[in-house]
Amino acid sequence: MNHALIIGQYVPSNSVIHRLDPRTKIAIIFFFVIFVFFANTLTSYAVLTLFAVGTAVATKIKLPYILKGLTPVWFLIVFTFVLHLVVTKEGEVLFRILSYPIYSGAVEQGIAISLRFFLLILVTSLLTLTTTPIEITDAIETLLNPLKKIKFPVHELALMMSISLRFIPTLMQETEKISKAQASRGVDFRTGPMKDRIQAIVPLLVPLFVSAFKRAEELAMAMEARGYQGGEGRTKLRELRIEKIDILAFITFGIVLIGLFLTRA
Amino acid sequence: MKFRAIDLTMSAMFAALMAIGSNITSFLIVGGVPITLTTFFSILAGLLLGSRLGAVSMTVYALIGLAGAPVFANFSGGLSVMVSPTFGFILSYILVAFVVGKIAENRSSRTSFIFAAIVGLIINYGFGTNWMYFAYKWLASTDAISYKLAWTWMIVPLPKDIILTISAGVLALRLRKNIHKITNVFDKETIA
Repeated sequence: MNHALIIGQYVPSNSVIHRLDPRTKIAIIFFFVIFVFFANTLTSYAVLTLFAVGTAVATKIKLPYILKGLTPVWFLIVFTFVLHLVVTKEGEVLFRILSYPIYSGAVEQGIAISLRFFLLILVTSLLTLTTTPIEITDAIETLLNPLKKIKFPVHELALMMSISLRFIPTLMQETEKISKAQASRGVDFRTGPMKDRIQAIVPLLVPLFVSAFKRAEELAMAMEARGYQGGEGRTKLRELRIEKIDILAFITFGIVLIGLFLTRA
Repeated sequence: MKFRAIDLTMSAMFAALMAIGSNITSFLIVGGVPITLTTFFSILAGLLLGSRLGAVSMTVYALIGLAGAPVFANFSGGLSVMVSPTFGFILSYILVAFVVGKIAENRSSRTSFIFAAIVGLIINYGFGTNWMYFAYKWLASTDAISYKLAWTWMIVPLPKDIILTISAGVLALRLRKNIHKITNVFDKETIA
């Protein structure tokens, strides 16, 4: 579980998509999310679906992992589809379910909207399946660099994200340790009415917070002792570089967009 | 915005605490309903860190979640959360921490802390539910879900959240005292 928390949904592999610069992936996904809303014909949806599914195949990630990322939203996709079937009343009556008429417009719209939902979720989850949170943090830092001009604390935010990601597993272990220590003193988290359980969390939270703040203080002192002075002139352990495959990825995406605009009505 | 090293580490650590809080009950309570303590923690962020750092730490929490760390409720995370209608609740924590911090800054009585906490809960519900309603309406392009229905969904977790909110106000004072005893993090001068 701790391991899963550090890397998130990331599935390690050496596929083309994994090797892409995280900035490339973020940029493409950003534009994909916008352009999904431009699709309005069957073929234009087909173009986008082909791109999304093609990318998913190129990641070489096994299907169950990809589906796992979709599970929280399956319900929404299906629910939206059914809702459109019931509510939309356009076009001709296709057939009747228990004498309730289903219109052709409803089926079309239901499929289009659910497909859009599905594409949005598939593509965005492909980013986190092929990129570690720390890589994304680095990418955000360089992508948002221009915002430094308006005094937006880009470097500080990225640093806080890295520190936070680093300490989640530590605090998790701490929580486990404290909860065992308190359980051995007779605190019961598992039974009783809701009020008692909430009260049982208090002896867990106080030491957890105290130790987290203690760590924050120690870390700050260590940073000061090493002369931390903000992002100016700091060098990086992991350098991001745009390679040939990134340019190829942009070209592919460009072709998809041209295809989208040729096929939409 | 100017950050001292201690500001950075405190906000980062609080974002990590928030990540623990969002799923703490899933590994404590077996066989029960896992409840999420995110609202509770975001109120604590405002009460303990103040408006500015509280809001910053909640922003960091939202960002690491979007970057793929499974820190949101039910261990979800990743960019796809943005598409989910409940994303508004995650955004509301930033506002909650900010407003709660603003109200409670320079006050340290129990009543003002509890008052600030309740305001925080109202913001959380108001912002989150409105977002949920409009996001779903837009994403699914349908009017079938009425505004009233969206609010009806929120009645179920309300009693639990009210209890948690009040205890956040009470607990914050205790935490403040305990943290103050062993660290200097709340002192303005000791760490430059």
